[in-house]
Amino acid sequence: MKRHLRLFALYFAQYAKVRLAYKADFIIAFLSSMAATVLGFGFVLVLFTKIPKLQDWSFYEILFLYGFSLIPLGFFNVVSWNLYQFGDLYIIQGRFDRILLRPVNTLFQVLFEKFRLESLQEVVTGTFVVAVAASKLHVPWPVSNYFWFILMVASGALIYLAVFLMLTAVSFWFEDRVGIVPPVFNMLTFGRYPLTIYNVFIQFMLSWIIPFGFASFYPTTHFLGRTSFNTYFYLVPVVATSFFMLALFVWGRGVGNYSSTGS
Amino acid sequence: MGTADLALPSRPERTFSPGTLARIYGEFVRVGFVNTIAYRLRYYTGIVTYFIYVSVYYFIWKAIYAHSASIEGFDFSHLLTYVAVGWIMRSFYYNNIDQDIANQVLEGKLAMDLIKPVNPQAMYIAQALGESVFRLVMLTAPTAVVLLLVYPVRRPASGWHLVAFLVSAVLSFFLVAAINFAVGTFAIRLKSILGLLRAKYFLLELFSGLLIPISFFPHVFQVALAFMPFQYISYIPVLLYLGKISGLGILRALGLQLFWVTAMIALGHGLWTWSSRKITIQGG
Repeated sequence: MKRHLRLFALYFAQYAKVRLAYKADFIIAFLSSMAATVLGFGFVLVLFTKIPKLQDWSFYEILFLYGFSLIPLGFFNVVSWNLYQFGDLYIIQGRFDRILLRPVNTLFQVLFEKFRLESLQEVVTGTFVVAVAASKLHVPWPVSNYFWFILMVASGALIYLAVFLMLTAVSFWFEDRVGIVPPVFNMLTFGRYPLTIYNVFIQFMLSWIIPFGFASFYPTTHFLGRTSFNTYFYLVPVVATSFFMLALFVWGRGVGNYSSTGS
Repeated sequence: MGTADLALPSRPERTFSPGTLARIYGEFVRVGFVNTIAYRLRYYTGIVTYFIYVSVYYFIWKAIYAHSASIEGFDFSHLLTYVAVGWIMRSFYYNNIDQDIANQVLEGKLAMDLIKPVNPQAMYIAQALGESVFRLVMLTAPTAVVLLLVYPVRRPASGWHLVAFLVSAVLSFFLVAAINFAVGTFAIRLKSILGLLRAKYFLLELFSGLLIPISFFPHVFQVALAFMPFQYISYIPVLLYLGKISGLGILRALGLQLFWVTAMIALGHGLWTWSSRKITIQGG
């Protein structure tokens, strides 16, 4: 464990050096990425000039939910790059051979070989929006909420990682020519609005099949004092851990099934 | 790539007869079409992706219209149609010319574009057109069928409105292609424009009116957007479909759309000339 932490620090520092070698380039990437995230709020901002509430959610409550959803997503996006390219780079081009030769966990190596550093802006932007929304809403914020907040962010990131890790592991068995990742990725949008506006089928799917609801909606309900979802709130870490264990299992089976391209 | 089929003159000359031009760029349209066939399976999930896009907004608007009958002259059925037709159109006009240029720059292949005796702008747009024709058959048509079956989407206001809408949708393609080309030229000077492209992506989604009608924006924004080309990508064409523009207004809308297509093509041409001059200097 200690060795892995040290390795993570080394991997991260190494990649940060590579990126920061071109400072202007990195700053442009960071700022334009932030502009993109801010523009993403445009729909909600314009919408609420015309309506007072979305179901029984006020403008700042929606902002809180949307902002919160960005924080775990930002952390996930920092490492997600490697997952999207996994099939092409590691399986088809055979780079996975190199991973297997090293005495370090395979997933650890794949996730931390590259970092999308600019995605940290989503964490910054999301936290800022949540802070503004929380202060406007005057929500009670006991000290224990800091603990819950961090736990929920970690759980959310773990859920995103678990879902996309399972989809990535599919490439151990067959080349994904259909492209199952983009539709699932687009389902993230569902998580930015109250789950209650959707029909039962979508609510069920977002809770128990692709559990994005547990990464943004259910955590938010607790912080906004919507006690009717309390059970789901306390289930968040459980769901995150279970899905992640499942993803690790699928990944492990995939690694066992791997046979090199053999060039 | 199929470009080898072209009978290139031994000494590149830049004047061709109209017939030859049509043949050359027609060939690029074909190449764009054929290249896309390799990814045809991806278009099946593309249908799902577009269905998800529309569904999210369906539920949001449904929740909103539970409390109000009409917002800015749109009742729920108009707004649902607005959203659905907007996304159906997008499945046709969407292209990645900007990203393609960025990739060419990163891979150092841009020189290949420069030595071809063709207009690079026309070449990129022609290839994108081939891709869009493919999308029309493989993505737009099935997406439209699915959405019409699942959601109560309104029919076009009249036959003439449908004709105007179809013309407008084709102009939208050229408008988006011209804008993407112009943005793509920045890749030549900047090292990495992926962040910039992502920002442009969200900018177009919002200011084209795809996510929310322009008439819902605060007045200041509406005035500012009237002087920009973005609303002619989605908002204006869908208003034509819904019959919210009629009579001479139709001709005026199409005329302005055509104006913006021309303006953006001119802008892209200027930017390309300006940027490619820079390459010559750097390349020494």
